[in-house]
Amino acid sequence: MVTREEIEKVSKLMRIELDDHLVHIDRVQKMIEYFDVLDKAGIESDEFDVHEKPVSELRDDKHVPYDEKLIDKLKNYKGSYVRAPKMV
Amino acid sequence: MNLGISALEYIKEIKNESFTVEEFISATFEQIKKYDDKLHAYLSVNDSAIQQAKTLDKKIKNKEKIGMCYGMPISIKDNICVKGGKTTCASKMLENFIAPYDATVVSKLNKEDAILTGKVNLDEFAMGLTTEFSAYGPTKNPWNQDYVPGGSSGGSAASVSAFECIASLGSDTGGSVRNPASFCSVVGFKPTYGLISRYGLISYANSIEQIGPLTRTVEDTAFLLNIMSGIDPNDDTTIDNKNENYLKDIDAGIEGKNIGIIKEMVGHGTQDSVVSATNDAIKKFEKLGAKIQEISLDMVDYSVASYYTITATEAGSNLARYDNLRYGYEFPLEGYEFKSYISKARKNFGPEVTRRMIVGGFVPSAGFAGKYFLKALKVKKKLTDEINDAFNKVDFLIAPTVPILPFKIGEKIDDPVSLFLVDFNTVTANLTGKPAISIPFALSNNLPIGIQLIANSMQDKSLLQAAYALQNEVTLPEVPL
Repeated sequence: MVTREEIEKVSKLMRIELDDHLVHIDRVQKMIEYFDVLDKAGIESDEFDVHEKPVSELRDDKHVPYDEKLIDKLKNYKGSYVRAPKMV
Repeated sequence: MNLGISALEYIKEIKNESFTVEEFISATFEQIKKYDDKLHAYLSVNDSAIQQAKTLDKKIKNKEKIGMCYGMPISIKDNICVKGGKTTCASKMLENFIAPYDATVVSKLNKEDAILTGKVNLDEFAMGLTTEFSAYGPTKNPWNQDYVPGGSSGGSAASVSAFECIASLGSDTGGSVRNPASFCSVVGFKPTYGLISRYGLISYANSIEQIGPLTRTVEDTAFLLNIMSGIDPNDDTTIDNKNENYLKDIDAGIEGKNIGIIKEMVGHGTQDSVVSATNDAIKKFEKLGAKIQEISLDMVDYSVASYYTITATEAGSNLARYDNLRYGYEFPLEGYEFKSYISKARKNFGPEVTRRMIVGGFVPSAGFAGKYFLKALKVKKKLTDEINDAFNKVDFLIAPTVPILPFKIGEKIDDPVSLFLVDFNTVTANLTGKPAISIPFALSNNLPIGIQLIANSMQDKSLLQAAYALQNEVTLPEVPL
């Protein structure tokens, strides 16, 4: 059974603030507990599919011009730079 | 004006000059104005629709070439990009996001002169099955406004059902087109994985999600599939359908075909009225000359756990991009420690998205991947093998689309596992990549019941033929708006 502490640890690693999300932990625990039904499927020794696609089947790696100036659509675009929060 | 006509009837009436495009579009917007305050299917409407209609009318009058949609009004789920307009995913995170390009499906509809009525509501980032998890408030079921319309494409289904458009595009990751179609008594179709381009659909769980139409009739679905299907260089998962015409021979019938009843989907946990409707549908197929047998898919019992494990994992990865730097809410510019900045940005996700992100971080994490994620992938593979074996014996599989009737708004919102089980009959088609359709079939206490048919990969055309055969056996009353 998954403990609250284990869930809280992963949440912290995912940078989801638990102070504001404690209310969700019980529900997350219920969801993950439901997944325990997978233990009864009897598929431990089975394989799973990995979809592989050779590079030759991918589209050509060439520049496709795009007319729109996407940079203009960024919020806080100041003409020659994007203003972002100061992070330390 | 009868706004309840099908797409094909609309085209016929426009060609016969029974009404103009402008008249129909104006009436559609009157309908939206009259009912959408209560239903809340739309998040935004297309302000230039009437002008587009006038332009098309001029073209029609001047006998100029016109696209095959003839200006029919179509709504778009708000996780599909329409250039120049908001695409919010019903999330505060994307409240001000203006899509810089059209999704391929939108480009194709525009090329055929469809008129997009607006963007319709969904569960935030398509994570839900009731449309209650929209950051902008729930959509209501036109059949009874105390009830959920299903989801996550609840706005799509409600808008078609309430005559606020002729058809809609939704996305189906675990039943998000078929479930609301069933709850709102419209047709909902999830194509074979790869048949319709997902370029411009905001990603949730790429390995299984598909865009699909919601329409009044099966023929309308075939008509839209003709427009939207096929290879797209911008979506590497698309497949070549050799320009199949899905509308041609749609009346081929079902005589001599074999249909398998999925045992696991018509048993424990299915409401009596839904079982009864399914049995009636089976009898109708028998009457039409189909042969019926029971099919067992053992892995169905584990499909919901597999589905939520895989989708949460992919969602955890896909939603990591929302760092609030490119779009999102305004922030004060004081110094942040990096981790606390990202945490602050993520506060803009609603509760269900937050929960699924935590689940999505947990199930593939070191120490837990073997117990959850890898097992989920193995169930997916075994379920695919089982369903492929089934299609060696039968042409189609049948089950109720949803095991229960529509339920009241708020009834299940606090019980995640109870909500999971509403998806029980729909996730199999997503996990295995098979095409599936929900056909409006019956009412119980004036609440709709849909019947689901599933076919083998790339058998979308024969699936629509079977669905058409069933549709023609059913007459349902009009929605009591």
